[in-house]
Amino acid sequence: MKSIFLNTALALALIIGFTSCESSSDYEDETPSIANIAVSNSDFSTLEAAAIQGGLAITLSNSNAGDPSGNFTVFAPTNDAFSRLGLNSETLGVLQDGFLTNTLLYHTSNGDLMGSQLSTDQPASSLLGLNRRFVERDGELFINGSKILATDVPASNGTVHVIDKVMIATGGDIVQSALALQNADVFITPELTFLVEAVLYAELAEALTASEGSPSFTVFAPTDQAFKDLGAALGLTFEVPSDIRQLPQDVVASVLLNHVVNDGGKFTSEMFEGNTAPLGGDALMYGPYMNGTLGITGQGNQAPANMVIPDVQATNGVIHVIDQVLLPVL
Amino acid sequence: MSSAAFSQTGVSGFMKPAKEGVVSFSSSSESYDKVLLVPSEIDGVPVFNEVSINSYNLYGEYGLSDRFTISINIPYIQSEGEATSATLAENGFENKRDGLQDLSLNLKYLIKEFNFSGSSLSLMGNLGLETPLSSYEVDEGLQSILAIGNQSTRVNTVGIATFKLNNGVFATGQLGYSLRSEDVPDAILSQLKIGYAAEKFYGDVFIGAQKSTSGVDILGEGFQGFFPATEVSYTRIGVNLFAPIYKDFGASGGFSQIVDGRNIGTATGFYLGLNYSF
Repeated sequence: MKSIFLNTALALALIIGFTSCESSSDYEDETPSIANIAVSNSDFSTLEAAAIQGGLAITLSNSNAGDPSGNFTVFAPTNDAFSRLGLNSETLGVLQDGFLTNTLLYHTSNGDLMGSQLSTDQPASSLLGLNRRFVERDGELFINGSKILATDVPASNGTVHVIDKVMIATGGDIVQSALALQNADVFITPELTFLVEAVLYAELAEALTASEGSPSFTVFAPTDQAFKDLGAALGLTFEVPSDIRQLPQDVVASVLLNHVVNDGGKFTSEMFEGNTAPLGGDALMYGPYMNGTLGITGQGNQAPANMVIPDVQATNGVIHVIDQVLLPVL
Repeated sequence: MSSAAFSQTGVSGFMKPAKEGVVSFSSSSESYDKVLLVPSEIDGVPVFNEVSINSYNLYGEYGLSDRFTISINIPYIQSEGEATSATLAENGFENKRDGLQDLSLNLKYLIKEFNFSGSSLSLMGNLGLETPLSSYEVDEGLQSILAIGNQSTRVNTVGIATFKLNNGVFATGQLGYSLRSEDVPDAILSQLKIGYAAEKFYGDVFIGAQKSTSGVDILGEGFQGFFPATEVSYTRIGVNLFAPIYKDFGASGGFSQIVDGRNIGTATGFYLGLNYSF
């Protein structure tokens, strides 16, 4: 009788085993999607949250309908890359959803762009419509100002390369980029409001607006707090942007031109320690290149300004948001 | 990432004698913080970090005759996540979904019984219907990780074989097919249970499985954020216990664990119930 029992149990077990048990061995050799790579890798948890908030998690789960290969190439910033901007999955809410979406699109392109194809001679287009360029420095490859840490992570719908800084582009020129920050189209709270006011006051908006054949610049953009600190240092009170008009117009113009370098627009990866001549004022001193950034010192500054948001690409240059106003010798 | 609790066959391997029945109220709790995605398990449920599901079930079973047993189950489900307030605010999500889930109605028929000296083999067929009792949400994008069900109507046909020794030891095997509406993939259901059933005590250990016959993988090709369309397959093991406590009242309890699968959380669950037999 025991044998009948055992045989019955064994037969049932076999039926169940062969018909319906699911095992991870059934699929563990499958290649994950780009979205799945972000979700399953703890180094990409901020990217995961960004893709969810920016509405791209589903897009990056599927084949790319916009490319015959069905693939995407994504330059994926690590959690440390987001942390440089003070961002993590808990703080992404400081960004507007639309800007976050565009930022992710700027990291993404159609088709497979393999590591072996990345070349300083060949810019790479992005789904935002803007090109990114590759830079070689000390034997390492950068895309814009972001170091490429790893290449060719295979995904079912494309390829992932890992980068150490978030790439940022507003899609506009230098003035439009500043206005985007001022209008809270980037952060949910306005930023660069004093700078925009100063540019208007000094009548420099036209010079920094892209037009046919116009030059490209490297621009150092002081934060609102930087202007408030300047006001305090000058014995003035800068509470609202129009307070900048307490200063003579020619002084403001001179200080602003001290923030603009007519060098074609350089990312941090393309900047080197030493002196650089801005459009006006006195020479700027670039500090040593460390951890992907440089300090910038004006002749009238006591200490170097730090890059708060480096490497913002505009259509006519590159903007580095800094925490001090760069002063010429006044 | 719906819970396995939503898709059990919900039927036992035994018939109720004619005009005898049982009514029970049970409370179950399960939770998971790992999810079996394809191709690998991930640590932390996307958005919600950890998911806990509490359910309250009102269950009744009655022997219409010695050959027909009818049963009904009404569950109320609370599904809660552990997303931070910042994440909730960023995405407009909430950490809780709850409501009456799906009515389950089963009619079991004893097809044939073979009696041997010291043992018996019973062959049964079960026809089950499951249908939503409320209009709970299932299509809220990633918020639906907390959906309490999949808002489909299912017709389940299950074949059951129970081999029982007169000393109380038994083995039950179930194999069935679940036909599902609303873009929810059909599934093959199976279960093997070995236990001991006597007047003063009942206990079993089981291994059960669901295998979807189609569907997409979460974050895989074809996934559009609609979780009911995913291929939810899993294997789970568990224990059920029952003992009479006073007159016609008894207590039941159990444990289960998802051990393998795809597109499902590795849920660990417990339940406790109070039964009244008549």
